[in-house]
Amino acid sequence: MATKPKIRELLDESACAHNSTRKAGCHVTVPGATSGGCAFEGAQITLFPYADAAHLVHGPITCIGASWQTRLSHTSWPGRDMTQMGLTTGVCSNDVVFGGEAKLRASIDYIVAQYAPQAVFVYSTCVTAMIGDDIDAVCRQAQQDHGIPMIPVHAPGFVGSKNLGSRLAGEAVLTHLVGTLEPAEITPFDINLIGEYNVTGDMWQYTPLLEKLGIRVLSTLSGDGRIARIRTAHRARLNVLVCAKSLVSMPRKMQERYGIPFISVSFYGKRDTSAAILAIAEALGDADLITRTRQLIACEEARLQARLAPFRKIFHGRKAVLNTGGNKSWSIASALQDLGFEVVATSVRKSTEADKEKARRYLGEQAVLMTDPGSQQARIIDETGADLLLAGGRSLYTAIKKKIAFADVNQEKKKSYGGYQGLLNLAEDLKNALENPVFKNVARRAPWEN
Amino acid sequence: MGELNRHREKPLEINPIRLSQPMGAALAFLGVDRCMPLMHGGMGCTSFTKVFFTRHFCEPIAIQTTAVTDVAAVLDGGDGSIVEAVHNITRKVTPSLIGLHSTGITETKGDDIRGAAKQIKFPIVHVHTADFEGGLESGWGKTVTAMIEQLVEDRSELRSDKVVLLPHISMQPIEVEKLKEFIGSFGLQVVALPDLSTALDGHLGHKQGALSSGGVTVDEIFSLAEAGAVISIGESVKFSAAALLKKNPAMRHMHLDHVQGLVATDNLVEKLMDYAGLQQPSPTVVRWRKRLQDVMLDSHFALGQTRIMVTGEPDFLAGACQSLTEAGARIGLVLSSVDSPQLGRIEAERVVVGDLEDAEKLQSEYDLIIGNFHAEALARRYGKALVPRGFPCWEMIGNQLKNDLLYEGGAYFLCEAANAAEAMRMQHHAV
Ligand code: SF4
Repeated sequence: MATKPKIRELLDESACAHNSTRKAGCHVTVPGATSGGCAFEGAQITLFPYADAAHLVHGPITCIGASWQTRLSHTSWPGRDMTQMGLTTGVCSNDVVFGGEAKLRASIDYIVAQYAPQAVFVYSTCVTAMIGDDIDAVCRQAQQDHGIPMIPVHAPGFVGSKNLGSRLAGEAVLTHLVGTLEPAEITPFDINLIGEYNVTGDMWQYTPLLEKLGIRVLSTLSGDGRIARIRTAHRARLNVLVCAKSLVSMPRKMQERYGIPFISVSFYGKRDTSAAILAIAEALGDADLITRTRQLIACEEARLQARLAPFRKIFHGRKAVLNTGGNKSWSIASALQDLGFEVVATSVRKSTEADKEKARRYLGEQAVLMTDPGSQQARIIDETGADLLLAGGRSLYTAIKKKIAFADVNQEKKKSYGGYQGLLNLAEDLKNALENPVFKNVARRAPWEN
Repeated sequence: MGELNRHREKPLEINPIRLSQPMGAALAFLGVDRCMPLMHGGMGCTSFTKVFFTRHFCEPIAIQTTAVTDVAAVLDGGDGSIVEAVHNITRKVTPSLIGLHSTGITETKGDDIRGAAKQIKFPIVHVHTADFEGGLESGWGKTVTAMIEQLVEDRSELRSDKVVLLPHISMQPIEVEKLKEFIGSFGLQVVALPDLSTALDGHLGHKQGALSSGGVTVDEIFSLAEAGAVISIGESVKFSAAALLKKNPAMRHMHLDHVQGLVATDNLVEKLMDYAGLQQPSPTVVRWRKRLQDVMLDSHFALGQTRIMVTGEPDFLAGACQSLTEAGARIGLVLSSVDSPQLGRIEAERVVVGDLEDAEKLQSEYDLIIGNFHAEALARRYGKALVPRGFPCWEMIGNQLKNDLLYEGGAYFLCEAANAAEAMRMQHHAV
């Protein structure tokens, strides 16, 4: 049986908010006017955090040579962290002509012998998909010989965007891992975290709270994940989708197949974090758990409030313009509001209708939802007298020209802004940005300018 | 001369240092003022390249993609997406040049990018850069050659006060600038192709980076063949110089494998004195030579006790290794991204075309690593010193301002390596 997922079917994702507005789902690419990664990159982001598995990229060097060791998805796996490794068959002209299957098989054997991973993910890429290497057959055979899961991931770059790649990765996990192992024990409060990659340790900001409540993270896709545990994911009581629309088909299918309900949450900012934890408790439906959760939230919020007080004093009355994409347009906005900022504008350039609605609700009627931030943000800074611009590196010059503070929100981040603790990290960084004289100094005129 | 191993022995690459041809091509195009590199392939190749160089140079990088999708991959000859891409790019900005180059998928399909380029009524240079062949250096070299072949006008007269400089890809922007100044100090006017020294040197620009700014202009490229001489630095651009000579056979060609260390710089000075008809270089040059001699003596003790591994692109390896061995360092291992004739000329105990897994297995053969950011984990794991060089160096700022070339940069380089070696030894004693 071929395990290639049906792309058309995946594009037609009924639970995806993109779908109601765009015919082609997430499948939009415009030559010469497109930025963003390919499906392979999406698959890689989704699965790489499994640090106990090998991630073998079957393709030429571009796909992994430029992208390994780029993501700080932390793991507590005590063995060698395979997330920080780049493995590729490094397809060359010869393989393009004669096929790369033998090389792929030899590579798998080498990896198993040298690194003893818990599983091997095999990613097809543009070239190897094009030349028609049968990675399914190679994986099936290797799995038989080595006795560990070998998972073909059919997300070559040319099939579409990063989002689609995430879905295809979810599909691969669903087909080859979920339901292949029974957990040693199950509890009434077992959940799966889907779409949380533990970048900079985001997940560890809130999982201790869940543990305190007796909620057990049975498995994750894929932050600090373990292969053995995702195989048992079918026994969870609840799937929790973390800020990741691209993976929505996975919990929906698990609902159909295993009857597991799912909810979608975000852990950015105080309000979202509290709402997320409460939503999990409510979905698990235990009265006592819900009471305890409310108590914990009240206690955590009070503690946070006290620690944020000095920051709120600094931030009170300050105005921020936010230029970022997707769900960040409201999730970071809500975090900023929690800190005491007035968010006068946010970008909704690539947001879905649902994101826009949410942004409007969070920001109020006065705020501007920018559709072309590149040209709008400078004017808005002038009109509102904003003090802070949060955007990608390209907007730095706007901030310098306007002599206001700047914080980069798109940079590969190094610190976690997730959960209650993350809000403190964010506050610290923004305080530094506001107090930093560098933006004013750099904007100084040269002696020879007038 | 030690052991030389040019063939990878295992079926795969683990923790690669190799980078792709399309990436080399894109960087070369970025050294042309207001050029838009256009990668013909899937979106990921471009996106990865863009993020890679953005992080390395801490600058916004403008590169576009033809965004080949499954439909285009299977049905269309490829021309469609190229024409459409150029149309979409030029609707928003007006580049001076479109730098069209292929990737793995479009080479596998066999797209005729030359034919596609012909249909386009816009200044365009096209070049084949399959990513299943070669690497960063060959992508750069091929692109420089393509620019010469497709843009430079034939000339027969010469301007003997003008020279063309062809740098290899591992030269940092400031190094290209220093080299231009150095050659300039012999009374010559220098044009570099490509010229990253004014493009990716990290100056605070006034635009938001929709196009590259700075670099050699297209007009300057048109008239390159009027120069009296071409100076190619690095094996990877030797054949680009040959392409330029075809445009004006009267031109003189000066080739150097690299310009690092005392001997190579002396060699360049000799050639320049001869060409310019001078008996003596400028006083600054003379002074820096003396400083380098002094640094060589000051650093020889620390370096002499240190076994070094150097990783990166072959042209860089040749230069760094010679500069170090001149000061008495022992090169335990040279780990090259790809094969090159340069490898046969490097003095080292072992030269390997390989990856960082190979370096890990051979970790007992060196104490100090000169290599990219990926080598950091290796250095930490085994307690080695690290002097970060090459692509990528993400966890550092100021890569574009690092100068290792000629007498002056050579002095800085030896100081840095010697200090890193000493610091490591002190740390080991402290434990
Ligand atoms: S577009 Fe294709 S070749 Fe390029 S990085 Fe993505 S999978 Fe690899």
